[in-house]
Amino acid sequence: MPPEVSSERALPRTGPADRETSLILAASRGDEAALREIYRTYREPVWRVIVSLVGDVPQAQDILQNVFFKAFRGLSGFRFRSALFTWMYRIACNECRNHLRRRGPATVPLETILGSRYEADSAVPGGGSSGPADTLRAAVRDLPFKLREVVVLKYREDLSYEEMSRVLGCPPGTVASRLNRALSELELRLRPRGEAR
Amino acid sequence: MTLSCFFARRRFVSYLEGRVPPGPAARLERHLGCCARCSDLFTRVKAGHEAGRAFGRLAPVPPGRFPAFDEVRGPDRRPRARLAAFAAPALVAAAAGIVVLFAVNGRHQAAGTGGAAIGPAEITPSGAFMRLAIRDFATDSRRQVVTEGYVQEVYYDEQEQTLHIKLGENAGETGPFVICEVRDARRLTIPETGSRVRVYGRARFDAQPGRGWHEVNPVMEIAVLNR
Repeated sequence: MPPEVSSERALPRTGPADRETSLILAASRGDEAALREIYRTYREPVWRVIVSLVGDVPQAQDILQNVFFKAFRGLSGFRFRSALFTWMYRIACNECRNHLRRRGPATVPLETILGSRYEADSAVPGGGSSGPADTLRAAVRDLPFKLREVVVLKYREDLSYEEMSRVLGCPPGTVASRLNRALSELELRLRPRGEAR
Repeated sequence: MTLSCFFARRRFVSYLEGRVPPGPAARLERHLGCCARCSDLFTRVKAGHEAGRAFGRLAPVPPGRFPAFDEVRGPDRRPRARLAAFAAPALVAAAAGIVVLFAVNGRHQAAGTGGAAIGPAEITPSGAFMRLAIRDFATDSRRQVVTEGYVQEVYYDEQEQTLHIKLGENAGETGPFVICEVRDARRLTIPETGSRVRVYGRARFDAQPGRGWHEVNPVMEIAVLNR
């Protein structure tokens, strides 16, 4: 089965910097229209990151709510040392990490991991229901959180090393070595069973 | 791992994406030709990179519906019409709160020790300074708060150029904490590490890179309960 193609992956890096600056300043003063615009612009990319990191839709919805709640509260302290999108991603990653730490080992409904919309496509008559897309999602979800973060930011959100380093709060070199580790782990998890490691 | 391995490995993904200039790319290829461990790792990273690209092309699980804007902006940002209805009593209550705060401050200074238990009258009925346990900062959206805890650390924050007091629920360095940001240290009595204090101020969340903590900022008053 060919993997589904996402139609809307492009990150809305919102136009010229001065426009973003005035939007942030207005939002930090409590301007409702500006806050709404930030929410409208960033809810989808932030959602993609959260649901890819957490997997469970109801939990991801709670986290999304917290992320924007905290972002709106923190906007008055925004120092323009990074773009708004990297700042939003950073809050999202931190919220996911804190959420998973509080919850302990995740217990996620099977249909959430597999994605209910893929079940029908990937069902094998008389056999398991796992197709390549499901296996891939499960393999990414199975990575330790730090490694999952870099895979999601790199391949789901198409961030550069510099941007990832701002989101993750570590140097680009660390991002590169973490990405190597993540990809070799991913390869191991996707290797057909019985094949030597 | 040699230094060449270190630099080669950092370029694996960039190389796979064709973003390494010809000179360094040729050096990387030469290194892969003579280093079995890097070559083995490169093969795995290459397969993982292809898997990562395939993962990026998968449609994300849809949210069903996104929370409404009103659900994410927080309860403390009321629409103007509702705000007008609350404005007058809130102003009166805030003024009462400030009077009470000065009274508390004056009493602490006169007593010289602080430490008196906070009475019901010191928290105004309007909630001008609402009690908030440190562990509840993450879930509560109240702005003007009073919280209690143990001073775990007092330090000068170079980035903010303000004095920070790390206040924990426990005397040890475990458990929930908030950072209390003191903008004008001359106006306040700075408590010692290990003392139990009550801090008045505004609750915020600092979401800057490297932070991501709840804070009381600015601190308006500190009462030392015991040393």
